[in-house]
Amino acid sequence: MAQSLIDLLRETHPDAIVSTPGHRGDEVVVVRREQLVDVCRFLKEDPRTDLKLLAQIAGVDLLTYATEATGGGALASIEVPAYDLERKRPVEPRYQVAYNLGSVVKKHRLRLRLELRSDDMKIPTVTGIWRTADWWERYIYDMFGVEFVGHPNLTRIMMYPEFQGFPLRKDYPVRKRQPLVPELDFPDLVRGPGPGPGGAGVPMSQTHVGRANVDPDAYD
Amino acid sequence: MTEYAAQDHDPLALESELPSSPMTVNLGPSHPAMHGTVRLVLTLDGETIVEAVPEIGFLHRGFSKSSENSTWTQVLPYTDRLNYVSPYLNNVAYVMGVEKLIGLKVPERAEYIRVLTGEISRITDHLTCIGAIGLELGAFTVFLYAIEARELLWDRIAELSGARVTVSWMRVGGCANDIPPGWVEKLVECLPRVLELTDEIDVLLTRNRIFVDRTRGIGVIGGDEAIDWGFTGPCLRACGVNYDVRKAHPYSVYDRIDFEVPLGSNGDTYDRYVLRLEEIRQSHRIIQQCLEQMPPGPIIVDDWRYALPPKKDVFSSIEGVMAHFKLIMEGIQVPPGEIYAYCEGANGELGFHIVSNGKGKPYAIQVRAPGFPILSGLPRLIKGHMVADIIPIFDSINMIGGEVEQ
Repeated sequence: MAQSLIDLLRETHPDAIVSTPGHRGDEVVVVRREQLVDVCRFLKEDPRTDLKLLAQIAGVDLLTYATEATGGGALASIEVPAYDLERKRPVEPRYQVAYNLGSVVKKHRLRLRLELRSDDMKIPTVTGIWRTADWWERYIYDMFGVEFVGHPNLTRIMMYPEFQGFPLRKDYPVRKRQPLVPELDFPDLVRGPGPGPGGAGVPMSQTHVGRANVDPDAYD
Repeated sequence: MTEYAAQDHDPLALESELPSSPMTVNLGPSHPAMHGTVRLVLTLDGETIVEAVPEIGFLHRGFSKSSENSTWTQVLPYTDRLNYVSPYLNNVAYVMGVEKLIGLKVPERAEYIRVLTGEISRITDHLTCIGAIGLELGAFTVFLYAIEARELLWDRIAELSGARVTVSWMRVGGCANDIPPGWVEKLVECLPRVLELTDEIDVLLTRNRIFVDRTRGIGVIGGDEAIDWGFTGPCLRACGVNYDVRKAHPYSVYDRIDFEVPLGSNGDTYDRYVLRLEEIRQSHRIIQQCLEQMPPGPIIVDDWRYALPPKKDVFSSIEGVMAHFKLIMEGIQVPPGEIYAYCEGANGELGFHIVSNGKGKPYAIQVRAPGFPILSGLPRLIKGHMVADIIPIFDSINMIGGEVEQ
């Protein structure tokens, strides 16, 4: 069933398909980035494919993928810490982004995969096709730093805005510490009507509640 | 905001007219009704919700990163903590993924045990959800009934695995140990009580005027739109879309078991509640059939590359010691590949996208938590409703902080 999906895609979008590396019954199509939106729209809207459910977008960083088992040669089996970049051979294309699609009516599955070079990590967004792509793309951006061009609100989703680096990249050490975030002032908060510190209309940062007016020595 | 400035130091400010500009309210992250730690930034016009932005990540523990640095077996405790009200289902989804990568066939008895424990977990998950809806709409009795039923089942789970919540009981290739003697009798004894309590909840809530008024027609979403938002599980079936992974892609032994998939029609909070109630009864049917059909036999594969050898062999043979040592120190050697494995979790499709590079640790693993897309669609559900409607809607989608925020 899924094979016919790939055949269909070969007919309609012959230029878009790079390869079809299926594994263990999962059907996978590697597509070209330029045609991703076209292919996605076709897969969702054509009644023969009907892949209306975008189950997940997942990312993979291939930096340390090479082992003897994956054809990386004998050298690859020597354990080199992931963050020791000098001793690591660069892998290109380094990133993969996988779109796990499904159909609730036809009950078939397909995975689209994109391959990305680390110097050009841009993907056109599919938020216009599946609304659920919004959060998944934010998640991939948050974890891998892939930029989704045209995304309405591409901000971090799990991490906080001041977080440095992208945690699921293989060169991000597990035990890496993050710098402390200075306490934020909250100038946009304005006191409502009524008695209280500073009186009505005064920004909270100018009252004794706000941080700016606090004498740092007062805590000694 | 500027209206306030005009009333600066006005002693009559308290009696002045209420501002007509939209107000921003933070609901959560630490709020008793925000299960887990989710923050909702609401923009209100009076009491009507104009805009809602859910913010997650307060509970993020780096599931993927931790898993990539643990052996395949060590990931199991992390999966428990994704959804701590139905941990068996998470265990099963993960080990199914690893087994798919290896191409491993699990003994029949283990498959039945997985279905059995998975359905118990589904019941506990639904009971938690229903109890919370009742509690937060003022029906405290419902909550107590639900918790009594849930505790009965969690006691059985504890007798099985030694832990009430974080069970870590599944293994790649089967499960950790066999069902202890006398356990099935205990389960059979407590199941009627669970059903009885479910019926009590049914009687208390389903035709309760207050409850129906608070939930019917609230948080409505259509089937096509729900799929577009990535909804699965009870939230999708409440819209009338017949999609259950157990029926659509039968895994384990679900193809041998006779059960029905209840469907809703309106896609509102009430339907989501009734659907969960009905699913509890269906899960009970599945459990009974499992108990009838379960064959005797091994509960884990007899392949020392993937499953720990029996202790007798570890202590008396060099092969046993070596297999044990290699499995513990190096982990299971999973052939390279990339798969997406999924099963029907209590709240929808629970999937794991796993990549292996042939080593003892997962190369990359990312979870498709059913609550993640559902929470992203929450603004769509609550927009236009009143502040008080957030709570039942939020309860009915049964978002679990652990899995959404990983």
